[in-house]
Amino acid sequence: MFTKIKKEQRALVIGLTTLGCLLTLFFGLRAFHALKKFQGHPLPPLHSEIETDVDEIRDWMTIPFISQMYGVPEDDLFDALEIPPHGNRRKSIEELNREFYPHANGLVIEIIKTTILAHQAPPTPVPPAKPLPPLTPIPAAP
Amino acid sequence: MSEYLLTQVINYGAPLLWVVVFVGGLGVPLPCTVLVIAAGAFAREGFLPWHTTALVSIVSVVTGDVISYLIGYYAREHVLERFSHTPRWLQAEASFRKWGPLSIFFSRFLVTAIALPVTLLSGTTRFPFKKWLKYDAAGEIVWILGYGGLGYLFGSQWELVSDFLNNFGGLVLGVLIFVFGVKQVWNWQLKRQQLSK
Repeated sequence: MFTKIKKEQRALVIGLTTLGCLLTLFFGLRAFHALKKFQGHPLPPLHSEIETDVDEIRDWMTIPFISQMYGVPEDDLFDALEIPPHGNRRKSIEELNREFYPHANGLVIEIIKTTILAHQAPPTPVPPAKPLPPLTPIPAAP
Repeated sequence: MSEYLLTQVINYGAPLLWVVVFVGGLGVPLPCTVLVIAAGAFAREGFLPWHTTALVSIVSVVTGDVISYLIGYYAREHVLERFSHTPRWLQAEASFRKWGPLSIFFSRFLVTAIALPVTLLSGTTRFPFKKWLKYDAAGEIVWILGYGGLGYLFGSQWELVSDFLNNFGGLVLGVLIFVFGVKQVWNWQLKRQQLSK
Protein backbone atom coordinates (compact mmCIF):
# COMPACT_ATOMS: atom_id res chain seq x y z
CA MET A 1 0.00 0.00 0.00
CA PHE A 2 2.75 2.39 1.08
CA THR A 3 4.80 1.65 -2.04
CA LYS A 4 1.72 2.17 -4.21
CA ILE A 5 1.11 5.63 -2.66
CA LYS A 6 4.76 6.48 -3.12
CA LYS A 7 4.57 5.46 -6.76
CA GLU A 8 1.41 7.50 -7.29
CA GLN A 9 3.00 10.52 -5.61
CA ARG A 10 6.09 10.18 -7.73
CA ALA A 11 4.03 9.95 -10.91
CA LEU A 12 2.03 12.99 -9.84
CA VAL A 13 5.14 15.06 -9.12
CA ILE A 14 6.83 14.04 -12.37
CA GLY A 15 3.61 14.86 -14.24
CA LEU A 16 3.40 18.26 -12.54
CA THR A 17 7.05 19.04 -13.28
CA THR A 18 6.57 18.14 -16.94
CA LEU A 19 3.37 20.20 -17.08
CA GLY A 20 5.17 23.15 -15.49
CA CYS A 21 7.98 22.85 -18.00
CA LEU A 22 5.55 22.72 -20.94
CA LEU A 23 3.50 25.65 -19.61
CA THR A 24 6.67 27.68 -19.10
CA LEU A 25 7.82 27.01 -22.67
CA PHE A 26 4.39 27.62 -24.22
CA PHE A 27 3.52 30.82 -22.37
CA GLY A 28 7.13 32.01 -22.39
CA LEU A 29 7.22 31.93 -26.18
CA ARG A 30 3.82 33.59 -26.45
CA ALA A 31 4.81 36.29 -23.94
CA PHE A 32 8.02 36.87 -25.88
CA HIS A 33 6.11 37.29 -29.15
CA ALA A 34 3.60 39.62 -27.44
CA LEU A 35 6.51 41.68 -26.11
CA LYS A 36 8.01 41.91 -29.59
CA LYS A 37 4.67 43.20 -30.91
CA PHE A 38 4.76 45.84 -28.17
CA GLN A 39 8.08 47.17 -29.38
CA GLY A 40 6.68 47.65 -32.88
CA HIS A 41 3.89 49.92 -31.59
CA PRO A 42 4.72 53.28 -30.06
CA LEU A 43 2.44 54.48 -27.25
CA PRO A 44 -0.44 56.59 -28.58
CA PRO A 45 -0.26 60.24 -27.44
CA LEU A 46 -2.26 60.73 -24.23
CA HIS A 47 -4.18 63.76 -25.39
CA SER A 48 -5.18 62.69 -28.88
CA GLU A 49 -8.94 63.17 -29.01
CA ILE A 50 -9.92 60.83 -31.82
CA GLU A 51 -8.50 57.65 -33.24
CA THR A 52 -7.38 57.71 -36.86
CA ASP A 53 -6.08 54.19 -37.50
CA VAL A 54 -8.98 52.20 -38.99
CA ASP A 55 -7.11 48.94 -38.46
CA GLU A 56 -8.05 49.22 -34.77
CA ILE A 57 -11.72 48.51 -35.60
CA ARG A 58 -12.87 45.13 -34.28
CA ASP A 59 -15.89 42.90 -34.87
CA TRP A 60 -17.18 43.34 -31.29
CA MET A 61 -17.47 47.12 -31.56
CA THR A 62 -20.83 48.85 -32.02
CA ILE A 63 -21.61 51.72 -34.39
CA PRO A 64 -22.04 54.35 -31.60
CA PHE A 65 -18.70 53.27 -30.12
CA ILE A 66 -16.90 53.56 -33.47
CA SER A 67 -18.67 56.86 -34.11
CA GLN A 68 -17.28 58.34 -30.89
CA MET A 69 -13.87 56.72 -31.27
CA TYR A 70 -13.30 58.08 -34.78
CA GLY A 71 -15.39 61.24 -34.58
CA VAL A 72 -17.68 60.22 -37.44
CA PRO A 73 -21.46 60.82 -37.06
CA GLU A 74 -23.43 57.64 -36.33
CA ASP A 75 -25.99 58.45 -39.02
CA ASP A 76 -23.29 58.59 -41.67
CA LEU A 77 -22.11 55.11 -40.72
CA PHE A 78 -25.64 53.69 -40.68
CA ASP A 79 -26.40 55.41 -44.02
CA ALA A 80 -23.28 53.96 -45.58
CA LEU A 81 -24.32 50.51 -44.35
CA GLU A 82 -27.93 51.06 -45.47
CA ILE A 83 -29.08 49.84 -42.07
CA PRO A 84 -31.70 51.66 -39.92
CA PRO A 85 -30.18 52.89 -36.61
CA HIS A 86 -33.33 51.97 -34.66
CA GLY A 87 -32.85 48.62 -32.97
CA ASN A 88 -29.31 48.23 -34.28
CA ARG A 89 -27.33 50.63 -32.11
CA ARG A 90 -26.42 47.95 -29.58
CA LYS A 91 -25.47 45.29 -32.08
CA SER A 92 -21.83 44.50 -32.77
CA ILE A 93 -20.38 44.73 -36.26
CA GLU A 94 -20.35 40.95 -36.40
CA GLU A 95 -24.07 40.76 -35.54
CA LEU A 96 -24.91 43.43 -38.13
CA ASN A 97 -22.93 41.56 -40.76
CA ARG A 98 -24.64 38.28 -39.92
CA GLU A 99 -28.09 39.88 -39.98
CA PHE A 100 -27.89 42.23 -42.95
CA TYR A 101 -25.13 40.81 -45.16
CA PRO A 102 -25.07 37.09 -44.34
CA HIS A 103 -23.42 36.18 -47.62
CA ALA A 104 -20.69 38.82 -47.54
CA ASN A 105 -18.39 38.09 -44.62
CA GLY A 106 -16.47 41.16 -43.44
CA LEU A 107 -18.43 43.58 -45.63
CA VAL A 108 -19.72 45.73 -42.75
CA ILE A 109 -16.26 46.37 -41.32
CA GLU A 110 -14.94 47.27 -44.79
CA ILE A 111 -17.78 49.75 -45.43
CA ILE A 112 -17.17 51.32 -42.01
CA LYS A 113 -13.45 51.67 -42.69
CA THR A 114 -14.10 53.27 -46.09
CA THR A 115 -16.65 55.69 -44.60
CA ILE A 116 -14.27 56.74 -41.82
CA LEU A 117 -11.39 57.25 -44.24
CA ALA A 118 -13.65 59.36 -46.44
CA HIS A 119 -14.50 61.54 -43.41
CA GLN A 120 -10.93 62.06 -42.33
CA ALA A 121 -9.45 65.34 -43.45
CA PRO A 122 -7.11 64.91 -46.39
CA PRO A 123 -3.48 65.28 -45.41
CA THR A 124 -2.24 68.85 -45.57
CA PRO A 125 -0.03 69.28 -48.59
CA VAL A 126 3.63 69.70 -47.84
CA PRO A 127 4.86 73.05 -49.20
CA PRO A 128 7.48 72.67 -51.90
CA ALA A 129 10.99 73.03 -50.66
CA LYS A 130 12.65 76.36 -51.25
CA PRO A 131 14.98 76.19 -54.21
CA LEU A 132 18.55 76.08 -53.10
CA PRO A 133 20.74 79.03 -54.02
CA PRO A 134 23.12 78.24 -56.83
CA LEU A 135 26.37 76.90 -55.64
CA THR A 136 29.06 79.56 -55.48
CA PRO A 137 32.37 78.35 -56.68
CA ILE A 138 34.92 78.02 -53.90
CA PRO A 139 37.78 80.38 -54.61
CA ALA A 140 40.85 78.50 -55.42
CA ALA A 141 43.59 78.61 -52.85
CA PRO A 142 46.42 81.02 -53.77
CA MET B 1 -17.09 35.02 -24.72
CA SER B 2 -14.75 37.99 -24.21
CA GLU B 3 -15.95 39.62 -27.45
CA TYR B 4 -19.59 39.26 -26.40
CA LEU B 5 -18.82 40.77 -22.99
CA LEU B 6 -16.83 43.62 -24.55
CA THR B 7 -19.85 44.56 -26.68
CA GLN B 8 -22.08 44.44 -23.60
CA VAL B 9 -19.68 46.63 -21.58
CA ILE B 10 -19.86 49.20 -24.40
CA ASN B 11 -23.67 48.99 -24.33
CA TYR B 12 -24.37 48.87 -20.61
CA GLY B 13 -21.27 50.57 -19.24
CA ALA B 14 -19.68 50.23 -15.82
CA PRO B 15 -22.59 48.39 -14.06
CA LEU B 16 -22.04 45.39 -16.32
CA LEU B 17 -18.32 45.43 -15.53
CA TRP B 18 -19.15 45.49 -11.81
CA VAL B 19 -21.39 42.44 -12.19
CA VAL B 20 -18.76 40.57 -14.23
CA VAL B 21 -15.90 41.19 -11.77
CA PHE B 22 -18.18 40.25 -8.86
CA VAL B 23 -19.08 36.95 -10.54
CA GLY B 24 -15.39 36.48 -11.39
CA GLY B 25 -14.56 37.02 -7.70
CA LEU B 26 -16.93 34.13 -6.92
CA GLY B 27 -14.72 31.95 -9.07
CA VAL B 28 -16.74 31.73 -12.28
CA PRO B 29 -14.17 31.61 -15.10
CA LEU B 30 -14.85 34.82 -17.01
CA PRO B 31 -12.31 36.86 -19.01
CA CYS B 32 -12.22 39.51 -16.28
CA THR B 33 -8.62 40.64 -16.86
CA VAL B 34 -9.35 41.34 -20.55
CA LEU B 35 -12.40 43.39 -19.52
CA VAL B 36 -10.50 45.36 -16.89
CA ILE B 37 -7.77 46.31 -19.38
CA ALA B 38 -10.40 47.14 -22.03
CA ALA B 39 -12.33 49.22 -19.49
CA GLY B 40 -9.23 51.35 -19.01
CA ALA B 41 -9.12 51.94 -22.76
CA PHE B 42 -12.87 52.70 -22.83
CA ALA B 43 -12.36 55.23 -20.04
CA ARG B 44 -9.76 56.93 -22.18
CA GLU B 45 -12.22 57.07 -25.10
CA GLY B 46 -14.71 58.72 -22.73
CA PHE B 47 -17.10 55.75 -22.56
CA LEU B 48 -16.64 55.05 -18.87
CA PRO B 49 -15.96 57.37 -15.91
CA TRP B 50 -12.64 55.93 -14.75
CA HIS B 51 -12.86 56.86 -11.04
CA THR B 52 -16.37 55.44 -10.35
CA THR B 53 -15.70 52.43 -12.55
CA ALA B 54 -12.45 51.63 -10.74
CA LEU B 55 -13.79 52.23 -7.23
CA VAL B 56 -16.97 50.18 -7.60
CA SER B 57 -15.08 47.43 -9.48
CA ILE B 58 -12.70 47.06 -6.52
CA VAL B 59 -15.64 46.87 -4.09
CA SER B 60 -17.45 44.35 -6.34
CA VAL B 61 -14.52 42.00 -6.81
CA VAL B 62 -13.56 42.10 -3.11
CA THR B 63 -17.19 41.31 -2.21
CA GLY B 64 -17.08 38.29 -4.54
CA ASP B 65 -13.80 37.20 -2.95
CA VAL B 66 -15.26 37.54 0.58
CA ILE B 67 -18.16 35.25 -0.39
CA SER B 68 -15.65 32.69 -1.75
CA TYR B 69 -13.64 32.97 1.49
CA LEU B 70 -16.82 32.34 3.50
CA ILE B 71 -17.65 29.29 1.38
CA GLY B 72 -14.20 27.90 2.23
CA TYR B 73 -14.63 28.94 5.89
CA TYR B 74 -17.91 27.08 6.34
CA ALA B 75 -16.80 24.11 4.25
CA ARG B 76 -13.97 23.45 6.71
CA GLU B 77 -15.91 20.79 8.62
CA HIS B 78 -16.53 18.79 5.44
CA VAL B 79 -12.89 19.08 4.42
CA LEU B 80 -11.69 18.05 7.88
CA GLU B 81 -14.00 15.03 7.89
CA ARG B 82 -12.09 13.79 4.88
CA PHE B 83 -8.53 14.97 5.57
CA SER B 84 -8.28 15.96 9.24
CA HIS B 85 -4.94 15.36 10.90
CA THR B 86 -3.44 13.66 7.86
CA PRO B 87 0.19 14.72 7.49
CA ARG B 88 -0.61 16.16 4.06
CA TRP B 89 -3.34 18.43 5.46
CA LEU B 90 -1.18 19.62 8.34
CA GLN B 91 1.64 20.29 5.88
CA ALA B 92 -0.74 22.22 3.60
CA GLU B 93 -1.97 24.31 6.54
CA ALA B 94 1.56 25.04 7.69
CA SER B 95 2.77 26.06 4.24
CA PHE B 96 -0.32 28.21 3.73
CA ARG B 97 0.41 30.05 6.97
CA LYS B 98 3.91 30.69 5.63
CA TRP B 99 3.14 31.53 1.99
CA GLY B 100 -0.51 32.59 2.35
CA PRO B 101 -0.08 36.38 2.25
CA LEU B 102 2.10 36.25 -0.86
CA SER B 103 -0.14 33.80 -2.67
CA ILE B 104 -3.26 35.79 -1.77
CA PHE B 105 -1.71 39.02 -3.07
CA PHE B 106 -0.17 37.72 -6.30
CA SER B 107 -3.05 35.42 -7.25
CA ARG B 108 -5.34 38.46 -7.43
CA PHE B 109 -3.65 39.88 -10.53
CA LEU B 110 -0.61 37.90 -11.68
CA VAL B 111 -1.58 34.22 -11.45
CA THR B 112 -5.35 34.55 -11.54
CA ALA B 113 -5.78 30.87 -12.45
CA ILE B 114 -5.12 29.96 -8.80
CA ALA B 115 -7.15 32.82 -7.27
CA LEU B 116 -10.20 30.69 -6.40
CA PRO B 117 -8.28 27.74 -4.87
CA VAL B 118 -6.21 30.19 -2.81
CA THR B 119 -9.35 31.98 -1.56
CA LEU B 120 -11.10 28.73 -0.69
CA LEU B 121 -7.97 27.44 1.05
CA SER B 122 -7.72 30.72 2.99
CA GLY B 123 -11.22 30.13 4.34
CA THR B 124 -10.75 26.41 4.96
CA THR B 125 -7.50 26.89 6.86
CA ARG B 126 -9.13 29.74 8.82
CA PHE B 127 -6.53 32.25 7.67
CA PRO B 128 -7.24 35.37 9.83
CA PHE B 129 -9.98 37.29 8.00
CA LYS B 130 -8.67 40.82 8.57
CA LYS B 131 -5.21 39.87 7.37
CA TRP B 132 -6.68 38.01 4.39
CA LEU B 133 -8.87 41.00 3.49
CA LYS B 134 -5.86 43.33 3.61
CA TYR B 135 -3.85 41.24 1.12
CA ASP B 136 -6.88 40.48 -1.02
CA ALA B 137 -7.88 44.13 -1.32
CA ALA B 138 -4.27 45.18 -2.04
CA GLY B 139 -4.04 42.60 -4.84
CA GLU B 140 -7.38 43.62 -6.33
CA ILE B 141 -6.40 47.30 -6.21
CA VAL B 142 -3.24 46.47 -8.18
CA TRP B 143 -5.38 44.46 -10.61
CA ILE B 144 -8.00 47.14 -11.23
CA LEU B 145 -5.82 50.25 -11.09
CA GLY B 146 -2.66 48.72 -12.55
CA TYR B 147 -4.18 46.70 -15.38
CA GLY B 148 -6.94 49.25 -16.02
CA GLY B 149 -4.29 51.97 -15.97
CA LEU B 150 -2.27 50.13 -18.62
CA GLY B 151 -5.43 49.91 -20.74
CA TYR B 152 -5.89 53.65 -20.29
CA LEU B 153 -2.29 54.33 -21.23
CA PHE B 154 -2.34 52.16 -24.35
CA GLY B 155 -5.83 53.23 -25.48
CA SER B 156 -6.88 51.50 -28.68
CA GLN B 157 -3.79 49.26 -28.47
CA TRP B 158 -4.99 47.68 -25.20
CA GLU B 159 -5.16 44.24 -26.86
CA LEU B 160 -1.35 44.16 -26.97
CA VAL B 161 -1.22 44.68 -23.21
CA SER B 162 -3.90 42.08 -22.60
CA ASP B 163 -2.13 39.55 -24.81
CA PHE B 164 1.18 40.07 -23.01
CA LEU B 165 -0.23 40.02 -19.47
CA ASN B 166 -2.33 36.89 -20.05
CA ASN B 167 0.68 35.02 -21.41
CA PHE B 168 2.94 36.36 -18.67
CA GLY B 169 0.49 35.07 -16.04
CA GLY B 170 0.61 31.65 -17.69
CA LEU B 171 4.40 31.79 -17.72
CA VAL B 172 4.53 32.56 -13.98
CA LEU B 173 2.10 29.71 -13.26
CA GLY B 174 4.25 27.32 -15.32
CA VAL B 175 7.41 28.39 -13.47
CA LEU B 176 5.67 27.95 -10.09
CA ILE B 177 4.48 24.43 -10.93
CA PHE B 178 7.91 23.52 -12.29
CA VAL B 179 9.73 24.87 -9.21
CA PHE B 180 7.29 23.03 -6.93
CA GLY B 181 7.95 19.77 -8.76
CA VAL B 182 11.73 20.21 -8.76
CA LYS B 183 11.67 21.07 -5.04
CA GLN B 184 9.70 17.91 -4.29
CA VAL B 185 12.14 15.75 -6.28
CA TRP B 186 15.05 17.46 -4.48
CA ASN B 187 13.48 16.65 -1.09
CA TRP B 188 13.11 13.01 -2.08
CA GLN B 189 16.73 12.85 -3.09
CA LEU B 190 17.79 14.29 0.28
CA LYS B 191 15.61 11.78 2.15
CA ARG B 192 17.02 8.90 0.11
CA GLN B 193 20.58 10.03 0.87
CA GLN B 194 19.79 10.26 4.59
CA LEU B 195 18.28 6.77 4.59
CA SER B 196 21.24 5.28 2.77
CA LYS B 197 23.58 6.79 5.36
